[in-house]
Parts: sequence; structure tokens; C-alpha cells
Amino acid sequence: MTSAKISFRLIFSLFVTAFSIYLVFLLNPDGAPRILLNLFTFAGIYGLSAIGLNVHFGWTGLLNFGHASFMGVGAYVTLLLMPHAAGREGEVTTTGLPFFAALILGIGAAALFGLLLGLPAIRLRGDYLAIVTIAAAEIFRLLVRDLESITGGVYGIINYTENFQKYRPLFIDNFSENLGFSPSQAWVCLAAWVSIFITVLLLKRLSDSPWGRALRAVREDEDAVRAMGKNAVWLKLQSFMLGAGIAGLSGVLLAFNYGSLETTVFIPLLTFYVWAIMILGGVGTITGPIFGSIIFWVIISETDRLAYLLFENANGQQLAGVRFLLVGVLIMFLMIFRPSGLLGKKEELLLDVK
Amino acid sequence: MSNNLISVNNLKKSFGGLKAVDVQELSFKKGELTSIIGPNGAGKTTFFDLISGFQSADSGEVSLKGKNISSTQPYKIARMGMVRTFQLTKVFDRMTVIENLLFSGSNINNDSFLKSFLKLNSQKLYESNLKEKANQIMNDLNIGHMADSYARELSGGQKKLLELARSIINEPEILLLDEPLAGVNPKLAEDILSLITKLSDTGITILMVEHNIEAVMKISERIVVLAEGSLIADGVPNEIRTDTNVIEAYLGKADE
Repeated sequence: MTSAKISFRLIFSLFVTAFSIYLVFLLNPDGAPRILLNLFTFAGIYGLSAIGLNVHFGWTGLLNFGHASFMGVGAYVTLLLMPHAAGREGEVTTTGLPFFAALILGIGAAALFGLLLGLPAIRLRGDYLAIVTIAAAEIFRLLVRDLESITGGVYGIINYTENFQKYRPLFIDNFSENLGFSPSQAWVCLAAWVSIFITVLLLKRLSDSPWGRALRAVREDEDAVRAMGKNAVWLKLQSFMLGAGIAGLSGVLLAFNYGSLETTVFIPLLTFYVWAIMILGGVGTITGPIFGSIIFWVIISETDRLAYLLFENANGQQLAGVRFLLVGVLIMFLMIFRPSGLLGKKEELLLDVK
Repeated sequence: MSNNLISVNNLKKSFGGLKAVDVQELSFKKGELTSIIGPNGAGKTTFFDLISGFQSADSGEVSLKGKNISSTQPYKIARMGMVRTFQLTKVFDRMTVIENLLFSGSNINNDSFLKSFLKLNSQKLYESNLKEKANQIMNDLNIGHMADSYARELSGGQKKLLELARSIINEPEILLLDEPLAGVNPKLAEDILSLITKLSDTGITILMVEHNIEAVMKISERIVVLAEGSLIADGVPNEIRTDTNVIEAYLGKADE
């Protein structure tokens, strides 16, 4: 609880993060800035999503394994409300809402989806909720795939990035040209980190409030919450909506980073990546997932390079195997060294779910 | 009938073939300090669960202040002024002691998302009043020095105290205490007993499930005895002490 302990955790996290960024430079003598931009864009988007997941799991104790569907709802609703092209024929929709209106509706839709999914599911506890959410996320994905006339199905959605890129300020273009960046990705990256900043401010405001306290009480013991006259189900639904809304925003950013959107983006692996990031960063913390996300993406993106350097004669297939072995070893190493995550408090180690 | 705060009619609950609770008629008057005793498995905790809404009865009716609450949600029953504790102490482990109390004391209006987001002055004022009240209660119960510790760091007895503190912060009309003395050392048990007596003196209606017969005999105004789900005796401590049904339930029938 002491401030000395908190600052040690923070310094340690900053150090590990700085070291992993240094590794990127070390492993990529040329072209490091471009790789870093890509890495930071993904780290920002996934980190934002993990911050949302932390509201579910870290604050409220909800085992949500369907996080990808919240991201998906946000992304699909936003894109479909804007001018875009979808499907095999690339059917063009020229009319639509401006970016910010569509974004707000997309975030709202993700939150609403959280509410709708939560209404029947949230009375379940622990692992039962996990099973229902993972199933719901797959149902969502398959539904989107089969509704080809609206969502473009397996052919996906294209031609929508301009809706967002037209707001790109000029300084990004100048700045990107000097460093060899893709200006459109630099713009998405900036948007992702601004979103993180705003979300962190919002959550900081809420975490010490009576509302945040009530969520943590639900996490600890629902029966006791009920015995104190509080509606635990409603608190859980509110938490579900807030986290889902944040995930929806990160889903939109992910779509703009890819430039085309299809359903395979929202496979369960996405959810598991977000979980890994949250656990690495520290369950129950607000800023932990940011560090977790950067380190996670350094590990994911640089292990193939590392594998290549370690085994020069190996072929691609062998390298792919070694790469995921390295991912596992590095994540294990971090978790053994910091079992409650980079920024997590030992007292609030949250990996035991009732 | 009108001064009965809680009354139970034909309340039945069974688990499979096991009859857990089968009570014809039982009522509790305002201000009474009643103990519910009985051998293990007599249905005492199930009885508590039924009247506090944590389990629903197979049949029968529970009414609180004249209102039928048989199918009312537990949190709504708690808001009507009947607060319970649990046999296995349920404190919010990974929250501090004071947070435990603040959460329990704050009303739902104060907990609202919008108010918390806007951080209105009225909320700040409410919180600071609440903090004062929480400190007062913690000091009364000798856990004031633990205010900033995590609840999981408390000893078993201190957790019982915290649970009690949490239950009384909202000034309930009725307290259901499920084994308030279980696993508590004799010194602390004395303190808890005198606290319960003191609460009863302030007019709170108390129902208590407890195995410590000596303590029960000492402080109760009335004792209700359950065995195998049914009511077998009901009276003042001195009657219960000599009731043959009760002695049989605890010790078995004398061989003839």
C-alpha cells in the first residue's frame, strides 16, 4: 500500500518496457522506427481493450472470455454506419454518418451488446460465465460471417478508412515522411494512445468512487453485497457495459489499423491475447495493461527475429515452432518473476476466481 | 398479530428427500432477542436463508412488517431493514476494513455511476459523513486500528466483528446473526455478546443462530429450538433448559 512500493512497481514496469523497446532496436538495426510504429499501434489498441477487460475481471471479477465480440460489435456497427464497400462485389455505400457520430453509436452498440449478453448470462458465476461468453462471441462472429448482404461476410468490408483519415492533421504527414512511417498508421496510433489517455482518466475517476468500490465488493462476495441491500446483478451489468464500450472503441481502432475488416479478426485468439496482456500488466490496475501490452507485442513481434538469430539454419516451419516456444518461455518468466503482473499489488493478486 | 415483525406460515423446504425446514407457524416480535438452536442439520441456517431471501421455499409464506416477502430478492429484503450475517464469515477480503464499512453504509443512490462520474459535492459530503460513522463503529468494536488493513489480514474473530460492524452501519431494524461466536476466542466472545445485548437494548430485533448454549441461555429473551427442520420447543431460556423434547433432540431418547 505504501507509495514506495507503488513507485518500485512503476519503475520496474518502466524499466522492463524500456528494455523491451531497446531490444527492438537491437534486433532490427535498420528499420526499427517502422517496426516500432506498428508495434505501438497494436500495443495501444490491444492495451485499450485490456483496460476494458480489466473493468470486467479486475474490478468486478467477471470471467469474460468473449471480449473479441465486444470489439467486433463496435467495429462492425461503426463501419457499417459510414460510407464503405462490402461483400464480394464490393457493393459501395456512399451515404453514411460522419466518423465521430458513427464511432459513438458503435461504442454504444458494443455497450448495448454487453447489456443484452449480460441480462441472461450474468447471473452465472465464475467459469460458467466464461463458457457462455466464449460461446456468445463465436455466435456473433459466425452470424456476422453469414449475414453477407449486410456485413460482407467472408469478403469483409473495405474502403472505409478515408472516413477517418480525412481528419489526419498535416503534421503527421510531415513527421511520418521523415521517419519512413505510414502516415495513416501513425494517425491510428495517435488515436489509440489518445483513447487510452482519455479512458485511463475516466477510470481513475471511477475507481476510487463509491461506484468503483461497489464493483470491487461484487468481485469479493456477491452474497454479502446482496445482504447489504445492493443489487449485485445491476452492478455487474453496468460493469459489463462500461468494459464492452471500451472494447468497442478498441475494435474500431483495430479496423482502421487493418484497412479492411473481416470476421476472422475476432476469433477467440484475440480474446486470449487481451487476457494475456491484462494478466501481464496487472489484474485490477488501471495503467498496468498499457505496459503489459507493449511488452506482449515486443515478445510477439520480436521472437521470430530472435528465433532466426538463434537458429540460423532452421527453415520457416521450424522457426515458427521455436518462436511460440520463446513466447511461452518469456511470458512464463515474467509471471514467475511478477506473479501479480507488472503493476499489480500482491495483496490484490486476483488470479483466484470464486 | 400486529406487533409481529416477522411471521412465518407453513414454511417448507426440502433438498431431495431431506426435509430441511418444515415450520408451521412462528413469529418474532419487535425488539425481541431470540436465539434459534438445534442439533447440527436442524435447518437453522436454511431457515435464515429462507427468511432473508437467499433461498426460496417450496411452499409457505414469510412476511416482514406485514408484507409477504416469500419471493422477494435478498437485496430488497435487506433494504426493508432486515440484514443478515453468514455462518462462514463473508467479508470483502481484498478491500480494506474501512472500505468494507463504507460500501455497506453507502446507499444505492450514492453508489450510482453517474454521481461517481460527476463527483458531485453532495456525494463528497455524504462520503465524509459516512467515514465518520464508520470510524465511530470501528472504534466501538475495537477494530479502529485495522482500518487501512485488507480484510483478509484480520483474524477470524476480527472478521466476525467486521461483519457485525458492516451489518449495523445502516441501522437495521432486524439483525439475523448466523453463529456470531463460531471460532471466536472466549474473551472476544464476551465482547460480541455484550455488543449483541447492547444492540438489543437499542430496540433492534435480533435473531441469532448459535451453538454456544451457555451464551444463548445467558443473553436470549426467547429460545426457539429446531430439530430435523421442525419446531420442537419455543420459550424463555428456563423453560427450554428443562424441556424433555429438547434434551432428547440433543442427547437422544433415554432407553427404557
